Amino acid sequence: MPEYNLYAGCSVPANYPNYEASMLRVADSFDMELKYMEGVACCGSPNLRAIDYEGWLKVNARTLAIADKNGNDIVTPCNGCFGSLKDVYYHLKHNEDYVEMVNAELASEGLEFTGDAKPRHFVEALYTDIGIDRIKDSITNPLDGVGIAIHYGCHLLRPKDVTEFRPEILKDLVAVTGAEVVEYPLWKQCCGATVLPVDEPLAIRLARDKLKSMKEAGAQFATVVCPACGNQLDLQQLDLKNTYGEEYNIPILHYPQILGLAMGLSEDEIGLYLNRVPAEPILEHVSK
Amino acid sequence: MAKTEEKTVPPVTLVDPIELSELDRDFREEIHNMPNGEELGACFACSTCTAACPIANSWDYKPHQLIRMILLGMREKVLASDEIWLCLTCFECQERCPQNVRVTDILFDCKNLAAEEGRIPPNVAELGKELVEQGQLYVITADWEREDLGLEPSLPGLQTEGVQNMLKESRTGRLLEEED
Repeated sequence: MPEYNLYAGCSVPANYPNYEASMLRVADSFDMELKYMEGVACCGSPNLRAIDYEGWLKVNARTLAIADKNGNDIVTPCNGCFGSLKDVYYHLKHNEDYVEMVNAELASEGLEFTGDAKPRHFVEALYTDIGIDRIKDSITNPLDGVGIAIHYGCHLLRPKDVTEFRPEILKDLVAVTGAEVVEYPLWKQCCGATVLPVDEPLAIRLARDKLKSMKEAGAQFATVVCPACGNQLDLQQLDLKNTYGEEYNIPILHYPQILGLAMGLSEDEIGLYLNRVPAEPILEHVSK
Repeated sequence: MAKTEEKTVPPVTLVDPIELSELDRDFREEIHNMPNGEELGACFACSTCTAACPIANSWDYKPHQLIRMILLGMREKVLASDEIWLCLTCFECQERCPQNVRVTDILFDCKNLAAEEGRIPPNVAELGKELVEQGQLYVITADWEREDLGLEPSLPGLQTEGVQNMLKESRTGRLLEEED
């Protein structure tokens, strides 16, 4: 039974309890023991890095050091947290001066960064530690060839030397549910969430580019593995109606919601009713 | 042979000429010494970064120009630009750079320098404030939604003091205190 430090971040627990609940249920059925990390808070997201590199380094080094105490890897459902933790891990691994600096600060709390515990995205841990074969065996209610576009999110994919994430992972994880992965031209492009505090119209335009590209390629649904991307693609569909007079009607599902459905979880167990663009139409594609 | 027309106006230029006296020769070194600036000097201005950027078409200074401006020492223009804050941090530019220049990371460094001088967009400063004051960006308000899904109403293990204390002593805390 693999054991992990669950770093939920702040956005998933506050805004997307359906993502959190479906992830926990899926993990539980594979005996992945996700234990909420004690004594942690926010990663600061790219916003903190923008104004305060050292503060960002220390805050995330602290989270890594807390995991180092029991040596279990950190698993997170959020690309923002994943990006921050991976980036700080990378910087600490490549610069001993930083390790000295953060450890001097962490000593007062009895903590030390050793780098034993690695930060990982939940989907990567699921793919690597459980494996596609075991996941395949757990599919009882396959999704009947329904077209799903994958939005990976920037901080899951890039920079590649930092995140070490291969896009095939998520592709395989979606395909194993019986769904059809819809390829679309802008699959790598940003959803625009990060620029929301600085330029909202630009952020909305980027969400539009993304949704349009998905729609034109024939996607009926889209999946995300990040609360910020999820918020941007789900909620902005309402703004797109107002600003552009366009309706996309692409339900945005968090990946564990899709896998959960294919594993026979009920719509209530995965919190489908909390998705803003009504996601219930996906139920029609679940064969029993 | 036709007579060449006499030129009476200065030639048309796409950008304003650089004022040499406004250049800061140390700026290049300053960025070079920051966490991700090592490869800065390797840029040969091929503009692959700009071609990769999803929003460069709406920028006055394109990514490759910003890197060039840093190399030339145009400190004031770079740090005062909106572009550094508009960066999506999507890392497309950095990923495709054939010279391994960490373009996005360097723009992060520029933002840090601008922040040090108190130049932070209001909404970004507001997010920094929230981090210092509550230790997290999003606070759970709809605990019934969590309970309906079988989750604890509040996040297990959450403890914000550690983060708050660290940030109070950091640039974030200092800058926001100065602002008040």
